[in-house]
Amino acid sequence: MTISFHLNGDRVDLSPEVAPTTTLLQYLRDQRGLTGTKEGCNEGDCGACTVMVTDPDSPQGVKALNACILFLPQLHGKSVRTVEGMAGPDGQMHPVQQAMVDQHGSQCGFCTPGFIASMVTAHMTGRKDHDTVLAGNLCRCTGYAPIVRAAQAAEGAAIPDWLTDTPPEVAASTLAPESSDELAAIYAAQPDATLIGGATDVGLWVTKQLRQLDRVIFTNRCADLKRIESGADTLRIGAAVTMAELLPTLKAHHPSYAAMVTRYGSEQVRQAATIGGNIANGSPIGDNPPALIALGATLHLRHGDTRREMPIEDFFLDYGKQDRAPGEFVEAVTIPKHAQRLACYKLSKRFDQDISAVLGCFNLSVEGGIVTGARIAFGGMAGIPKRAAHVEAALIGQPFDEAALARAAPEWSKDFAPMSDMRASADYRLAAARNMLRRYWLEAQGAATNVREVRA
Amino acid sequence: MTLDLKLDTPFEDHRADQLPQGILGHEQDRPDGWLKVAGRATYAAETDPDGLLHGVLVRAPATGTVMLSNLAEVEAMPGVRKVMSHPKMIRNAAQGTANKAPVQGVDHADYVGQPIALVVAETFETATHAAHALIVSVDGVVKPATPDEVTPEQPDDKQTILGDPDITFADADVLIDETYTTPAMVSAAMEPHAATADWDGDTLTLRGALQMLKFNKNELADSVGLPSEKVRLLAPYVGGGFGSKLGISADCVAAALAAMELGQPVRVVQHRRQVFEVNTRRSETRQHIRLAASKDGKLVGLGHEALVSQLPEEDFSEPVIQGSHFAYAAANRKLGLEIARIHRPAAGSVRAPGESVGVTAFEIAMDELAVATGVDPVELRLKNIPDKDPESGKPFSSHRLESALKQGAEAFGWGSRPDKPRQHRDGEWWTGTGMSAAFRVNMVIEAEARIVLSESGATVQSDMTDIGTGSYAIFQQIAAELLGQPMDQVTVELGDTRFPPGSGSGGSFGAASTGTAVWLAAMEIRQQIADRLGCAEGDLTLQDGIATCGNTRTSLGDLLSDEITGHGHVEPGDAFEKVRQATFGAHFAEVAVSDVTGEVRVRRMLGSFACGRILNPRTARSQCHGGMTWGIGMALTEELTHDRRDGHIVNRDLAGYHVPVNADVPDLEVLFVDERDDWAGPMQAKGIGELGICGAGAAIINAIHHATGARIRDLPATPDKVIAAMTKAGY
Repeated sequence: MTISFHLNGDRVDLSPEVAPTTTLLQYLRDQRGLTGTKEGCNEGDCGACTVMVTDPDSPQGVKALNACILFLPQLHGKSVRTVEGMAGPDGQMHPVQQAMVDQHGSQCGFCTPGFIASMVTAHMTGRKDHDTVLAGNLCRCTGYAPIVRAAQAAEGAAIPDWLTDTPPEVAASTLAPESSDELAAIYAAQPDATLIGGATDVGLWVTKQLRQLDRVIFTNRCADLKRIESGADTLRIGAAVTMAELLPTLKAHHPSYAAMVTRYGSEQVRQAATIGGNIANGSPIGDNPPALIALGATLHLRHGDTRREMPIEDFFLDYGKQDRAPGEFVEAVTIPKHAQRLACYKLSKRFDQDISAVLGCFNLSVEGGIVTGARIAFGGMAGIPKRAAHVEAALIGQPFDEAALARAAPEWSKDFAPMSDMRASADYRLAAARNMLRRYWLEAQGAATNVREVRA
Repeated sequence: MTLDLKLDTPFEDHRADQLPQGILGHEQDRPDGWLKVAGRATYAAETDPDGLLHGVLVRAPATGTVMLSNLAEVEAMPGVRKVMSHPKMIRNAAQGTANKAPVQGVDHADYVGQPIALVVAETFETATHAAHALIVSVDGVVKPATPDEVTPEQPDDKQTILGDPDITFADADVLIDETYTTPAMVSAAMEPHAATADWDGDTLTLRGALQMLKFNKNELADSVGLPSEKVRLLAPYVGGGFGSKLGISADCVAAALAAMELGQPVRVVQHRRQVFEVNTRRSETRQHIRLAASKDGKLVGLGHEALVSQLPEEDFSEPVIQGSHFAYAAANRKLGLEIARIHRPAAGSVRAPGESVGVTAFEIAMDELAVATGVDPVELRLKNIPDKDPESGKPFSSHRLESALKQGAEAFGWGSRPDKPRQHRDGEWWTGTGMSAAFRVNMVIEAEARIVLSESGATVQSDMTDIGTGSYAIFQQIAAELLGQPMDQVTVELGDTRFPPGSGSGGSFGAASTGTAVWLAAMEIRQQIADRLGCAEGDLTLQDGIATCGNTRTSLGDLLSDEITGHGHVEPGDAFEKVRQATFGAHFAEVAVSDVTGEVRVRRMLGSFACGRILNPRTARSQCHGGMTWGIGMALTEELTHDRRDGHIVNRDLAGYHVPVNADVPDLEVLFVDERDDWAGPMQAKGIGELGICGAGAAIINAIHHATGARIRDLPATPDKVIAAMTKAGY
């Protein structure tokens, strides 16, 4: 397949011989000599390789992505701007670049191009939530404040006209099918292929584990998998919807889930990562599954023209093992539009850009002071995302009060026997999970619990 | 000609306060900022000479004798040019200012992760593939990898006993006797180490990620067996160092050896995971601290005994007790350092070696003393400020801790703080405040710089580096101020060993050391201009390109038909024998701690610092912001985890080693105490790059105690430890 995209305004048509797991960062630095984009970690942790991508399929139009875990076929039909392409044709600085100099936002300069790309992208879309935008860029020199001030200083400046890209028209390709029907046919015929959504995890198979993926299929051009369909009481979310694309919908329907998602990876990760990928990957520490289980989501699987569906918790069988046949893929997930009191709590050592030690989601129905239904699910507490069935049973039919918390206390260790690792000890995980129910109860009493609200 | 200066006596003439250009001491942009925001500053891995080959370092999976059983087969793979296991390759990076090769030879692995071979190929991918195809087997016994497995060394020159500390501890009205630990940490500079080496048959030219070129040049020459004058190093831009690039690193030596053998340029870039292993880490520490005091908090005795670790045959040991020698008065003192020789990756300097962890632990102990005596923590520090060096009896060159404490407390609003812990709760969040003092030794290193002044402006040259600290800006300011030039008429060229040898970047000494050399070079030019005008240098005014001398007013352009060159040379002298010189400060922090999860959120921090003359408040403030942010990391998130069995680093990536992200860092406020330290040289300026980290973490740990009543003594204060400490405290 020929991959075509724009790079800093110029069309690029790559030869079909280019390996589909070549990353954009490799291409930029090694083949194009565009060394402004830096390699700091090669696994999406540091953001030094951030570039701006114009994506006609994305509602935001432009997005900031980590070039180190972005495979070239993902750029088919898109436009890329690197730090070298941010200044004007006559060398005029972008307002963000000017502000970074004025505010002393660059010291050693190695993280700077990535910050510039994140900030220029946010400037293009008029975003002012700089702390969220910059969560995926690490800086070891400045302490961040001068960078945030630079982003604020540039807020009012006009978007330079040289920056607006119109991505190229491109031909369809078997490597990146255009619909779920095509995908289903190709994947059924090649069940040993690796499906790639946003490559925020599969990217690391290549860059960190040096695995050779002989056959890959990209889902990012399947238009129907990128839809969020609103029914009477439900939302059907296509598997290729990115977390960033999902966020506005979650904000409208499930604000606590949305708040958790703003700490999911980073802006760059959320712009690439798909909900289907996060589910299919089956990680015990993925951040979506506990929320989806607590919501009582239904998972839709497809193999060729055969479809089946199941409660999402049934998909996770054991560590590293899911109820998915060869050639079968996650097509969508359906969640209710409303939940009386869904709360999601992410617990990690670092506020952003960190894998959860424990992620707990609570969805209790309370009528007349009595718990009538309970769905409680955790990540980081078992080899799979898992419901707290004993705790739920201890709560149902009881008044939602402090005594109920005490009654449920011994049930936690029946539900979970977590492991000790670098992120947390088993004892701490259990204690934190138990305490999260207390937090949930406190919240129902109107107490201040929000980790963001305690910031001065 | 050279203007030489040995720092023997104080400079009571504050020339910098009288100069008219109005640049030095004022906020200025960085001249390198423009290149950096455009992605045009080129780092060590970013040149692409013709015929460039790519080298990938291979790591030892265990300790012992290394065998490469399929070396010949790998070397025969298409595109592979060399599999090198060279006796001159180095075991780990050289220590700062080593000036000679570190331990060489890679047929034996002393720590897991040691580089043991270099695979060179025509492409990076081929080299990476071949490096993984190489079968590495290691034959050896398991070596001790934790400090408890060995009897530590107790070097005589690192033990101090004054008075009778043991009796003082036994008889004290109040005694704090606790042990604190800090984990191993790393610099985690954003730029991974990299080297591009080129050999023309006579001279080796290497572009590297290095902090101290004049030393690195000798280290590389000694490593590869060349005379030093046949080595040229280039490091015009360095993506952060923080100590990790002080000494020549494995990538540089391997790239140089390969280039010399193959006759083609070779580039070696460390993968991030190698960066964690093959350079140097900050040792973990165990610190036994005893504070004996009267009931009103006056110290009568202090003990600070620390255990650190290091690989065999390395000279450096984390100087944990360095700050405790002069921080507080107490007649009875017991200070000591022990070194456990174990097989973890080599320890070395990481930002503020010594005080970063030593002052932090000591200031937690001081907070425990404040709690035990009921004396306000700021008042406790004020009570124990020594009037002279408490061990040598030498006077302090300048001591502004009192001002730093008082001005900081005032600005932070410390006065309204409740004395007792657990006084403010907001839902599940306990909030509280804490403080600490900051101490850091001040150093000057021999340095030279050259300035050429012509009609078109001035050019400053030194092999000094700018690792993000602001060297380009500071030197531009010094030259512009003394030579009466607008900023844009001064060009600064750094990071090339063909220029005069500067101090290098490290130990906070760069701006004051190489800056003084630039000052002297400019002074020599002023002298020549004064001579041409027939007046004394002191009577010469240079401003906006105009020279004024008495009633004579001349355009510099008219005076400069030729170039005038000035060469400055500074070296440390008797000043360091006559006085104790240090920088001082105070940190204040406010935190919120979750009852539910033990999460700690820093709400605000303020640092107040006395570092002599501030040459550029913008770059200086940013150094302090950076240091305070490292303090947040040390207090809450940063921890290098070693496998207890073989010492290997488990979390050797930026996902597992948690440097603070933007959301972990609140608004940071920085104040500077007005100070001129006459003993620091003609600019009266001291180091600033490291003071911001010294003690910063303690302010946070002490705030956690004030918020919750829970005392954390093992850093970092991760949520699990905070919950456990709250439970232990009975809450």
